[in-house]
This record gives sequence, structure tokens and C-alpha cells, in this order.
Amino acid sequence: MFDYYDVPLGIAKEGISLSVEREGEVLLYWRESVDEKVEKNLPASTGKILINPIEPVNKPKELTSYLLIEFERTLVVEPGATQKIYAKYPLEIGVFISRNENFKILDIFTLMKQKFTLYGDPSSGVICKYWSSAVYSSLPSVNPIQEGVVELSITNTSTEWVEVTKAVFNAYGMKMYYSEDMVAMKANMKIMKGKIAETDFFDSPLETGMKKSLELYTVRKVAITTTKFVMEAGI
Amino acid sequence: MNLDIVVYGDVRLYHLLMAALILLIAVLIAKGLVIHLRRSLKDKVEKHQLEDIVKVVWYGIIGIAVLTVFPILGVHPAGLLAAGGITGIVIGFASRSVVSNLISGLFLMIERPIKIGDAVNIDGTAGVVEDIHIFSTVLRAIDGLYVRIPNDKVFTGKLTNYVANVARRFEYVIGIRYCDDADKAIEIIKNLIDEHPLTLKNPASQVFVDNLGDSTVNILVKIWAPTTEWYGVKRELLWKIKNALEKEGIQFPFPQRELWFNNELRSREIKAE
Repeated sequence: MFDYYDVPLGIAKEGISLSVEREGEVLLYWRESVDEKVEKNLPASTGKILINPIEPVNKPKELTSYLLIEFERTLVVEPGATQKIYAKYPLEIGVFISRNENFKILDIFTLMKQKFTLYGDPSSGVICKYWSSAVYSSLPSVNPIQEGVVELSITNTSTEWVEVTKAVFNAYGMKMYYSEDMVAMKANMKIMKGKIAETDFFDSPLETGMKKSLELYTVRKVAITTTKFVMEAGI
Repeated sequence: MNLDIVVYGDVRLYHLLMAALILLIAVLIAKGLVIHLRRSLKDKVEKHQLEDIVKVVWYGIIGIAVLTVFPILGVHPAGLLAAGGITGIVIGFASRSVVSNLISGLFLMIERPIKIGDAVNIDGTAGVVEDIHIFSTVLRAIDGLYVRIPNDKVFTGKLTNYVANVARRFEYVIGIRYCDDADKAIEIIKNLIDEHPLTLKNPASQVFVDNLGDSTVNILVKIWAPTTEWYGVKRELLWKIKNALEKEGIQFPFPQRELWFNNELRSREIKAE
């Protein structure tokens, strides 16, 4: 499903119906999924349509740029060790129109349940998009239009044993790659003294041959101050 | 035209024109810079930060221009200090509320209990902060009215900032009949809260029987939501809870009172006769 498309186009997959059709002098974009219908008029000069996974923090409302993944099972990491795990995260799908390498977001949708949570306390914490995931020691199989996989390398640089129950990521730093059967990103969590951790992303595919997603925050030309997140309110 | 005419002291007409020209150029430069800053930083910094930057640039340029113009007009800062004394005291008394507002405005800018765009309640006036000037704060009241509040009232009065924290809690009391299953009602309410995307997973919502009222079993519902969304969630969820409970046969009774009589009612005696 994730690819560049010429117009007109029509896609019907797993409850998603999406089309771009000529209607007189304009193009009509139409999408229906999970009780949501969107219709938009596009200029006839629209070049290509790109559909790819984007940072999963936009639906149902853009309240935050942080994603919190809570692990269903606590991870225990020994001092000085690095542990590699896999977790799942919910996908959001972005539909872009493009012309001469100039992109504009047209529509965003998801097939997954949406929930928010607070990381930290109400006065100094941050609102995060919430997802609960099992922890896998090897690459789990996923439905590529519903969930993605994050490969997380957890390094405990402290001198104490630590228990990890969650990870918070900054969507500005997400680097997603996709193939026919998987959407994935690679992240890093560095645990420091005092049970503080820093998360960040690697800009490399999980498997060879995967294509890089066009990130929403790149298209929007948002001034980014940092791509990392420092977890100071517990890990 | 003779520009060498003495206006007062050593100040001549061309001095006045030069001072006016400097001030005019300073205003033009400040305006141009402010417009440029607003355009270039609009998407890069938050509105309240942009307004702060704009104010610093504006007052900075105008302040420098005024200080430059003073000597041309024969006013010397050292002389001003020396001329303080009695005049200063008189002016001080006459303008103490102005100075009080000015000082409060400066402290507000340093302490930052509110910023532009915040929903606040200042001494009983609720609204959204439109601007924070040096002497006053401007609110757009919830009914759309323009309200100007002197800064000393903002600083010394009771101030509630509804959006200072990122999350807030709201509550409902749901009264159900004594004959209804309270556990089932709690389960239904919890499911509805869980399904709503804008109620927070953490801090967790609380749903429990809070008290046994005169006519109802009262279930207290405490829900956390993002501060920007809580009011919409509050309006939406209550009706959903009402409909979902009614769908399961759980009802909300009117106030009622059960009366017990020590003796049988006289109407029965009459009937028996």
C-alpha cells in the first residue's frame, strides 16, 4: 500500500477505501476508513500521490510530539549491558500530494485505537500518545498497515540494575522505513545514573531494501530544536 | 528658512529637527524589524515568545533613540539625576499607581505566571490573555469582551491559570437507583472512559461508589484529560455515560422518600368497614 501513485488511483484494503478521480477540471480525493470520511478537491496539476507511514502522534488531534510505549513485561537490565528488544507501535498513514519534489500533507488516518497519557506530573510532565506493547526478543510479525516495529537498543550506563517499563520517544527524531510486509524504525535508549534515560533514533533501515518514509515534520518544515527525549520522570 | 534660530538655551531649531528625524528613523527601523521578526519567526517560536522578542526589540530601539536625542535637546542624563530631589518626589507621589503598574508588569514578565493565549481568571474575570503590556494586561473575556486589567491587580490579586499545567481532572457524580447493579454501572463507565481517546491512561481515572444518598447510590467519576481538551471531553462523556447506562436498564431516579406509618392508614379501616 505504501508507495508513489499516479492519478487517478483507487485503493481498497482492510477497511480503507481511497481514491483520486478526475471530476471535470479538478481531482476529487476521497477516503473512508473506521467511521471517518474525507473528501477534498485537488488541483488538476497534482503530480503524484505518496502514501507512507508517518510519525504516530497526529490522530485524533495533534496534542503532542511524544510517543510513550508501555511494555507489558518489565525489562531488567544489568549495569553496563546493552539489551536489544523489539516492540510494536501504532501506525498512522499519511497521504501526500507532490509536484516537483514539493510535498504537502493531504490526509492522515489510522486503523488503530488512540489514547493519550501523561508522562511525569501535571505541572512539569508532557502529554504523550500512548501505546502498550509486548516485548519481543526477535522481530515480531505485524500487519504493515496497522502496526510498526521499533528495534530498541537499551544501554545501561549506570552502575545499578534497572527496571525498564516504558520508553518515550520524540516524534521529531523518528526515522521510519517500510517494505511490503513491515514498517520499522531503530531507536536507542541510554540509561544514565539516577534512572534517567535518553532516547533517540538511528537513521537506518531494519532490513536491507526497505524504503524511507517521508516524515511529516520534514514536510511541514518545523524548526526542530532536538530529536532526543530525556526521560526524567521514570523509566 | 533660518534653522539657526535659538529655541531655548543652546538648542536651536535644527537641533529639534535632527531629534525628530532620529526618532522618526528609529520608529521606522523598529517597525520594519518588528514586521520582519513577526514574519520570519511566526512558525518557529510560540506566540507569547514572539511577542516578548518583539517588545524587547521595539522598546530597545526606541529607548536607544530617546537616549541619543536627549543630549541634542540639551538634556543630559547626569543633569536629570541631579535634578531629581524634590521634583522626583513630587512626580513619584503623583504617579505612584503608574509606577506600581510598571513594576508589577516587570515582575509579571520575570515570574511569568501567565502568557499570551492562556485561559485565566484574574480577580473574578475569566478570559484568554490577549496581551501583556508594561502597565496592563488585556483579556478577551469568555463572552468576547475586551477587558483591560492594571498590572498591579494581576500581580497582587488572585490569579488562576487554567492551562499552566498540561493535564487536569474533572468530575461527575452519577446517581443511580438502589435496585441497580452499581458494579455493572462502574464497569460501563470505565469502558466508556477507556474508549475515549482524549481521556488519559495515566493518571488513571477513578470510578467508585462515593456515598449512599437519600434517593440514589452516588458514583463518583474522576477523569484526567489534557488541559486543552478537558472541557470538550467533559461535555461529550456525560451524555454518553447517561445513554450507555440507560441502555443497560440502569436509571437515574428523581428525588424520592419512603414513608412508614406506625398505624395502618385510616383509608384501609374505612374500606374494611
